[in-house]
Amino acid sequence: MTAAAAVAAAAALVMLAVVVVAWPFVSPEREQPEERLSDEDRRRLALAEARDAAYASLRDLEQDLRTGKVTEADYEAERDRLRADAARVLRELDRLR
Amino acid sequence: MTTLGRVALYLVFALTVYAAVAGVLAGRRGDRRLMRSARNAFWAALAATLVAVVSVEYALLTHDFSLAVVAEHTSRRLPTGYTLSSLWASEAGSLLLWLAVLTGASALALHQNRRRNRELMPWVAAVLGGIATFFAALAAFVSSPFAHVAGTVPVDGAGLDPSLQNPYMVAHPPMLYLGYVTMSIPFAFAMAALITGRTDARWLVSVRRWTLVSWAALGTGMLLGAHWAYVEVGWGGYWAWDPVENAALMPWLAATAFLHSVIVQEKKGMLKVWNMVLVSAAFSLAVFGDFLTRSGVVQSVHSFVQSPVGPYLLGFVAATLAVSTALIIWRLPLLRADHRLESVISREATFLFNNLLLLALAFAVLWGVVFPILSEAVRGVRSTVSAPYYDFFLVIFGLPLLALTGIGPLIAWRRASPDSLVRTFRWPVVSALSGAALLWLLGLGSSTAGLTALSLCIFVTVTVGLEFARGTAARRALAGGSIPRALVDLVGRNRRRYGGYVVHLAIVILVVGVTASSAYSTVREAHLGVGQTMVVDGYTLRNAGVFQRKGPNYTFQYVRLAVSRGGSSHGTLEPGQRVYDTGQIGNEVDIRSSVPSGTDLYSILQGVDRDASGGVSVKVLVNPAVGLVWLAGVVFLLGALITLWPDPREARQLARRYGELLARSGA
Repeated sequence: MTAAAAVAAAAALVMLAVVVVAWPFVSPEREQPEERLSDEDRRRLALAEARDAAYASLRDLEQDLRTGKVTEADYEAERDRLRADAARVLRELDRLR
Repeated sequence: MTTLGRVALYLVFALTVYAAVAGVLAGRRGDRRLMRSARNAFWAALAATLVAVVSVEYALLTHDFSLAVVAEHTSRRLPTGYTLSSLWASEAGSLLLWLAVLTGASALALHQNRRRNRELMPWVAAVLGGIATFFAALAAFVSSPFAHVAGTVPVDGAGLDPSLQNPYMVAHPPMLYLGYVTMSIPFAFAMAALITGRTDARWLVSVRRWTLVSWAALGTGMLLGAHWAYVEVGWGGYWAWDPVENAALMPWLAATAFLHSVIVQEKKGMLKVWNMVLVSAAFSLAVFGDFLTRSGVVQSVHSFVQSPVGPYLLGFVAATLAVSTALIIWRLPLLRADHRLESVISREATFLFNNLLLLALAFAVLWGVVFPILSEAVRGVRSTVSAPYYDFFLVIFGLPLLALTGIGPLIAWRRASPDSLVRTFRWPVVSALSGAALLWLLGLGSSTAGLTALSLCIFVTVTVGLEFARGTAARRALAGGSIPRALVDLVGRNRRRYGGYVVHLAIVILVVGVTASSAYSTVREAHLGVGQTMVVDGYTLRNAGVFQRKGPNYTFQYVRLAVSRGGSSHGTLEPGQRVYDTGQIGNEVDIRSSVPSGTDLYSILQGVDRDASGGVSVKVLVNPAVGLVWLAGVVFLLGALITLWPDPREARQLARRYGELLARSGA
């Protein structure tokens, strides 16, 4: 590659990079600014995670019973506790909706 | 091409600086166009890095010996494949490869999350931009692959180190770099979560796969390196606790701990601070590993000669630790656990113990690596920390870890009752004890640690087998169908869990291979005149003469050893030495592997008599079950792939949890 060709290729590379980086500012597509999560949104998120964790724990517990990892008595006690947790979380989620 | 490559590297530096600044501004202003621009900057940086890579490869292929990386690591007669792979034989070239993987992984991670985690992503871009800026600055201004040789341009290069002229060295360094570099992604998400206060589990979900990629690549890279050492370095082993081997092991241990503790956070809302600490530790250890390889402070077959980048890398590790510690302390109030540990006999407790043991092992290894450096810095005397130190801690921490590998999956969450423990563990315990007695009767009691390890392997294998058997039976009871169908359904519906069990099986196979090949191997050394024999563990080896043959860029001198056992021939072994055209000398071992048992007959030529009588000094090892170490690598990859495979049900659940709930806010 000659020196002139190398300089031309380097200039083209820089130009291409500038266009790619600048494109979001010159493209006709307009986007709304990002909205922040409010404290209420964060609380809702935490509750959704707690709800899903409780559901997953119930599924795991069922699986543990079927595969013999927990006794029937342990299963019933833990299931009742998890159901109560899930119900509490769902009530709070409903209240926030 | 050199001018183009140099300009491309400056451009990468400018683009990564821009990405970091644009990320910060996008995060502060909530400006989506700035965020898109930062993301585009990473794609442009990747393209520019690839232009630089192609420029170096062009210089290598056209033998442009005006460049130091070409003159110092290749020669005109080096085969083309090794000429291409010599990019990462040099410190500057490997830094360029590191930058290529970093910009590529960053661009991909930002692209994957272009419609998710909108509050986090600007800060992820900022952190990744900061990391990439640092490495781009090193490649552009401190250790450039486009640096010229001092003085006259040589007519031929110095050649590639003989030990690097091996197919494994083509794949081993890129695989390790993939592992080291992709650890940046979980770190960037963790820091972004701390900066924004989005310390819910969303960032964990986003980085789980990246951590798995990094962890699988590091694990595979270490095994490739171990196999390279076994077939090329030629001392008969595959792991020597070399500082650079340890450099990859430490972040792998931290990542293993994180992959377990993340489950506890997702299931129980616990270990939130711990997970942040683990991600920061894994990333810092990865960069520290890079420092060990590049700085020249340790002596290793894997390390580069002393280079100027060492102090910068050490400073970067210190800055990373300081910033991540400050952010974690700042966000402590948001990282409180949702639940407390209710019993030490529970799955979450076994995960916690597993984490403590993994971290303890990682820090024992770290101390073994840094002690000689500190000792030299403080007292001016270089001490060495040798294999017995590491072996001691491997046994002390490794055996309980192996036991937990079996206990964890079978124990219930929250609290396990004595009744359920007896019911769950009776068969694994009985099997392990029976197996131990049998192994002892078979004469394997000579190594207590070895016998304990093998017994625990039986325990873990039975627990994993029971998990698959009981899970399949439960699936059939629920949905019917054949056993194979139920097994496929079971694994498909619980990929993380059952992929993890396959990885546990890989660990068992690895432990059996390592234990058998180290605790029960046989080594003999002898001087053999032509026609003389030696006996090693039932094998008879006879010196059938010394020969020579020409290779593409070397002459190979070797001894032919005729192997027999019980009167029947087992072919020949031909260990020797390559004398390269550049004057370099490389050892070539010869190995005969037995496929069913995995046992290797391993031969090393230590010297040839100078009187041309055909007499040779040889070292021969019988390494039982060493093939299992390599088989473990295949099973490990299979398990990692099962775990990594996308799960549409999980994706739907996450979309419901984060998408619908936050649709109103657009975050």
